[in-house]
Amino acid sequence: MRHLLAAVSVAVLAATSVSAAPPKLTQAEHDATHAMFEHVINTPTVIGRHNVPAMAQYVADQFKAAGFPAEDIHVMPYHTGSATQGEDDTAALIVRWRAAGTPKAKPILLLGHMDVVEAKPEDWSVDPFKMIEKDGYYYGRGTTDMKDGIVGITQAMIDLKRAGFKPTRDIVVLFTGDEETNGIGAKKGATDWLDLLGHPEFGLNADGGGGGFNEDGSPAGYTLQTAEKTYADYTFTVHNRGGHSSKPRKDNAIYSLAHALDKLESYRFQPMMNETTRAYFEGRAKTEKGPLGDAMRRWLANPNDGEAADIIEASESEVGLTRTRCVATRLFGGHANNALPQLATARINCRIFPGVDPNAVKAELERLVNDPEVIVTREDDNVASLASPLRPDVTAAYTRAVQALHPGMPIFPEMSTGASDARPFRVAGIPIYGANGGWAVVPIDNRAHGRDERLPVQSLYDNVVHWEMMLQDLAGK
Amino acid sequence: MNRAIAFVLATALSTGAIAATDPRTVPTQLPPAWQAKARAVFKQAIEIPSVHHRGQVPKVAKLLADQFRAAGIPDADIHFMPYEGLPGDQTEALIVRWRSPHPTKKPILVLGHMDVVEAKRSDWKYDPFEFREEGGYFLGRGTSDMKNGDVATTMAAVKLMSEGFKPDRDIIFLYSGDEETEGKGATLGSTKWRNLTDAEFGLNADGGCASYDQNFKPLGCGISMAEKTFQTYFMTTHNPGGHSSRPRPDNAIYDLADALEKVRTYRFQPMQNDVTRAYFEERAKQEGNSQLGQEIRAWLANPNDGAAADAIEANPLEVGITRTRCVATMLSGGHADNALPQSATATVNCRIFPGVEPPVVQAELQKLVGPNVEVKPDPNYIGQPTPASPLRPDVVAAVTNAVHKVIGKDMDVYPEMSTGASDGSFFRAQGIPVYDIDGSWGISPLDERAHGLDERIPVRAFYDDVVYWTMIFKSLAS
Repeated sequence: MRHLLAAVSVAVLAATSVSAAPPKLTQAEHDATHAMFEHVINTPTVIGRHNVPAMAQYVADQFKAAGFPAEDIHVMPYHTGSATQGEDDTAALIVRWRAAGTPKAKPILLLGHMDVVEAKPEDWSVDPFKMIEKDGYYYGRGTTDMKDGIVGITQAMIDLKRAGFKPTRDIVVLFTGDEETNGIGAKKGATDWLDLLGHPEFGLNADGGGGGFNEDGSPAGYTLQTAEKTYADYTFTVHNRGGHSSKPRKDNAIYSLAHALDKLESYRFQPMMNETTRAYFEGRAKTEKGPLGDAMRRWLANPNDGEAADIIEASESEVGLTRTRCVATRLFGGHANNALPQLATARINCRIFPGVDPNAVKAELERLVNDPEVIVTREDDNVASLASPLRPDVTAAYTRAVQALHPGMPIFPEMSTGASDARPFRVAGIPIYGANGGWAVVPIDNRAHGRDERLPVQSLYDNVVHWEMMLQDLAGK
Repeated sequence: MNRAIAFVLATALSTGAIAATDPRTVPTQLPPAWQAKARAVFKQAIEIPSVHHRGQVPKVAKLLADQFRAAGIPDADIHFMPYEGLPGDQTEALIVRWRSPHPTKKPILVLGHMDVVEAKRSDWKYDPFEFREEGGYFLGRGTSDMKNGDVATTMAAVKLMSEGFKPDRDIIFLYSGDEETEGKGATLGSTKWRNLTDAEFGLNADGGCASYDQNFKPLGCGISMAEKTFQTYFMTTHNPGGHSSRPRPDNAIYDLADALEKVRTYRFQPMQNDVTRAYFEERAKQEGNSQLGQEIRAWLANPNDGAAADAIEANPLEVGITRTRCVATMLSGGHADNALPQSATATVNCRIFPGVEPPVVQAELQKLVGPNVEVKPDPNYIGQPTPASPLRPDVVAAVTNAVHKVIGKDMDVYPEMSTGASDGSFFRAQGIPVYDIDGSWGISPLDERAHGLDERIPVRAFYDDVVYWTMIFKSLAS
């Protein structure tokens, strides 16, 4: 998943630092970045299409060609599947760049995922799996979520190796193959594959962080992601005796479901705040003018001011930051055009505020629907997610890299409203920071999972430089 | 398949049981020699698994054609018409013309179909394609829908020919090969093959008209002479979508749910035609002074009494008879659990009152749900509005006479409008009135097994149907 920041204008994590000029990519590095990006975008790594192993092999080949030893490159085939998210034979890629000499510390983990969300050509204005460059953008499924991050990390490591960089601690890459669906790769990473990963001290996730510019070109800010909401899916199910459609019954599974969905549409959960979101809103409130800024200031002063929280939540830039959110994402129902439905179901996707038990959300949904015909079930056994503590070294490295490329860019701690591969690592005690360097124009480029997903062309190349600087800073001293 | 409304009436009329004779134990009127002939053909027909895509329909066509040929119909009047039903389903229709030596009127068209619905050996108690006689029943797929009607109409003609009967008008038999799936045979029969099939009116042998309740009380024989137009619409909402962690104020699924709430409560304008009026007159008699009976009488007295019509429509026995009905039957939407839906679609199946054009219903639905919901007809099946067939006194008299003589005097005959669709709709749409009049019967709901498991027909109902059709042909063609 990928979340882009909204319009903001004040640094809260770090004052503007004096940065050296960022390195520049050579023409060869630029061309190699473009070629790799095009290749991976054109590989439809959607669940069920069996393309992830080929992409993993392709990326592995790039590392090999750059001189990384074959014994430290592992394509890890695995099966992913669940009743609701589909099945596939997928793969992860693990690359370990060993420290020159005795490592100074435990490894740094670099996280990303190679799979993408489904994209239907009939929903898009262009072919989602044929990268094109248009109006300063790269278009295609995965351009922002998150093949830009895969290419950013891979090309940065290749460039650094060719330039003779010698890490002082191991840098370990884990690119998974099912983040968008079952998250089994990340679970294996945090358990079965932990020895292969060298028990990292912390991780940097390219599927988080990043920043944005406003449409007028002013900097909107970058985020360092330290917490994320818990992802949980629920299903509303309605059964009915059905019958012949020429004789409609009074009760109908589809209508009962539609009625429940109408209730869900207007429902809002209780507003909540934690340290990360408080810091975020404090920063935002310093300069945000108008009703939105007023609402933030009111809510910070009085966390029980639900009306202020509702105003913030209703803002396009702040959706999901003030509370648990649940939304209907899929519908199924019926079995024939000319038969009354015997079954109708809706998938409800929830993003639960950190610390809240997904079972409590289930109970709340049941109370909301308040209809014995509509059965609410959970689709996973996810547990409440945890926040990672802010590390000064990561904060400093991220700030330096961002501000070298974008002088004056404010940086915020962030609670992600999405779910990512970070969760099982956080649960296993390995802090994870969403620290990608890509950027976009907000909110018009917020298209992850949607139609006509796109990435500003320059963002792709900036991100390679970003990761070079991050690695030099965190693994070069 | 043609439903029998009488089955629906069962629950209403089964009160006040009177000691009655089990109709299955009454001796058949078909002579033993003809029983043997009809049974032999029926057995062969049932044991040909003429399910779509199995390529078996032509064998049924040959079996029936052989009977006509043996009875003296010349090859020139027997037409095998191969065609494709569902994509890849090579099927066949059979058209036979029994000529009158001196025709005085336009022909009568007899309709049937030779295909059957799929039946799985693992689901059935016995092999569905092995003909069995057991406990007063013939069992097997197609015994009630409708190889019984194919054989009864064919053997009735054969029997009459053997007796030297000469019709005073041509009688044309059209047995189609894909009624249960696409209905292309009926489409072709009513258009492209019209030179072979043109007739004054049609008699459909698909589905017995009569039934008894479990206390053997007769529930009547409904002559279906009108049917609603089948038209499916797709209601679709579109949205830019996005990541589900950041819900937008607008959402394709919620927009569709709003539209479905409107469809749920919407009721079309009540309507009557000659057929439904005659039907309700009969129902008012049956209902007597019950609440429903009073409502029916109120509506018959004043067709503008919408409240009475609404009360009738709300009764489970009468659903769909008072107006056009549309109901949501299928749902799909979204493309991933963690993405906001970019589109959501509901299938809305409509049964349109005879004479109303489907585009009018589409416009009414569009107005109901508003401009943000796309409403489109299913491009795979564009319904043809079918006018109600006129109440022909000759047909009603012939059926009434035959039912009373063959089944029993206590079996009432009344007209009805079918809420489902059958091969007859294609001919009605093309200007040939069609009457569903097959004379077979069953015990409701025990024998209501068309399309279902362990399909069966009472032995007597099958044999007597041959007698019934001979009486129909004699009445209407002499």
